[in-house]
Amino acid sequence: MAALGVEMNVAQDDGETNTAVKVPESVLRRDQARLEEAERRRDVKQSQTVTEEKSDFFTSTFNAEKTQLEEMISSCNDREKAAKTLEEATVKFQQLQKFLNDSVRFLTQYEIRQAQESLQKLQSSITDKREEILPKKKFAFRSRNTSKQQQPTPIQQQTADKPAPGSVGTVVVDAADQCGFSNVDNQVLVRQAEEIQQRDVLLSHLTHCKVRLYGCPSTLHIKNIRSCEIMCGPVSSSVFVDQCTDSTLVFPCQQLRTHNTTATRVYLHVTSRAIIEDCQGVSFAPFTWTYPGILDHFKVAGLSPDRNNWTEVDDFNWLAAGTPSPNWTVIPESERICSWDFVGTAAEQS
Amino acid sequence: MGLLSILRKLKSAPDQEVRILLLGLDNGGKTTLLKQLASEDISHITPTQGFNIKSVQSQGFKLNVWDIGGQRKIRPYWRNYFENTDMLIYVIDSADRKRFEETGQELAELLDEEKLSGVPVLIFANKQDLLTAAPASEIAEGLNLHIIRDRMWQIQSCSALTGEGVQDGMSWVCKNVTAKKK
Repeated sequence: MAALGVEMNVAQDDGETNTAVKVPESVLRRDQARLEEAERRRDVKQSQTVTEEKSDFFTSTFNAEKTQLEEMISSCNDREKAAKTLEEATVKFQQLQKFLNDSVRFLTQYEIRQAQESLQKLQSSITDKREEILPKKKFAFRSRNTSKQQQPTPIQQQTADKPAPGSVGTVVVDAADQCGFSNVDNQVLVRQAEEIQQRDVLLSHLTHCKVRLYGCPSTLHIKNIRSCEIMCGPVSSSVFVDQCTDSTLVFPCQQLRTHNTTATRVYLHVTSRAIIEDCQGVSFAPFTWTYPGILDHFKVAGLSPDRNNWTEVDDFNWLAAGTPSPNWTVIPESERICSWDFVGTAAEQS
Repeated sequence: MGLLSILRKLKSAPDQEVRILLLGLDNGGKTTLLKQLASEDISHITPTQGFNIKSVQSQGFKLNVWDIGGQRKIRPYWRNYFENTDMLIYVIDSADRKRFEETGQELAELLDEEKLSGVPVLIFANKQDLLTAAPASEIAEGLNLHIIRDRMWQIQSCSALTGEGVQDGMSWVCKNVTAKKK
């Protein structure tokens, strides 16, 4: 009986154990599945939350900064503070741009496009405001593409400033210290030595004039000249010719620079050399003019009467070696003028 | 102050080579300035066709000053000389008011050049011996120099012909040149 009892106990234990193992296994499996499902749902929710959170954060931050920038720009009215404020606005704008660049990873295409459009508008606003409040200076930097003013403007100016008929030696002074003649038509213009001695002389916007400068300027600028005869004593440094047409120029100088000039004859005494650039139909001959006292003026100007490089002309538009530039020529001897009109005598005391 | 004096001031940094570039429109006075610095005769200045270079060497230190021609046709070649420039000197004819806009334009383009990025610039308002010369302050305002923020800059009145102001400008150069080890 005892042996049988023991055996029965064993059987019972096995039975209980089997039952217990089976049920928990099944239950455990179900429980795990339930937990996994819950976890999956939680992850999805978290993911959505994070995305929404970032997106909302960007939108609200970007809009706040944008509004602040717009207010900053529109409040820019005081010229004195404008420069500083615009500078701050520019810095803020750049920060906003960086913010967008950093956030591109998780923004939708639509959001990116919207933000970029906002940035472009802001940039335009800043630029417009800057141009409005801080207008460009006379000599401001400018794109090379800007086309130059047309010729009619000088012509119109010339007409408006036309001096009274019959007057001789009219002077139009551009600046307080400026010396020379400007905006004159069909006149004889004369300056004596003491008036131009070692000064910067400007001749500009002259037509059909005869100019006689009986002295030795420091420099001579000849600009926007048409159909004139210009004669000058020894120039210490350089003569600068620009926009000269159908004229005759006569002078000694240390250097000659000629730009944008056509159909012009130059009777030249140059102690270094001459250059031309963007010129056509320019011809050269040796200096042949004289007036009482010119030798003294050569000394004052520091030029040597014995040194004349009038045939040494460099054309910066002509790079071919060995072939002469077609833009300038030597005036044949038979065609050179040796006796000049006697116009407005040089003062004896020079 | 000649190139040798500049050299002495810079000698505190041995085994270096300083490269100074002289640029500006034609007729601004670049070559006259260079010859003034080299204590050479300035009575035979010729319009520069290519470039003039002055090189001074002493005890392992070398100073090069390059003067490039300013005619319009040869300005595109300026960029061939930008590499390794330590100081830019831009020369303006203060009496040639009609070309202030042109010279400002060229200067602006120079300052936009990547190879000249950060290079200090000294602007010489030259030809102040002429009565018609604009003062340096007017030129600085016209060129909007105050908007230059990416580098050291200075404008100095001078007359390369008489030498006046050149020394002050070169003193600034000595203080602000940042020569690189070569």
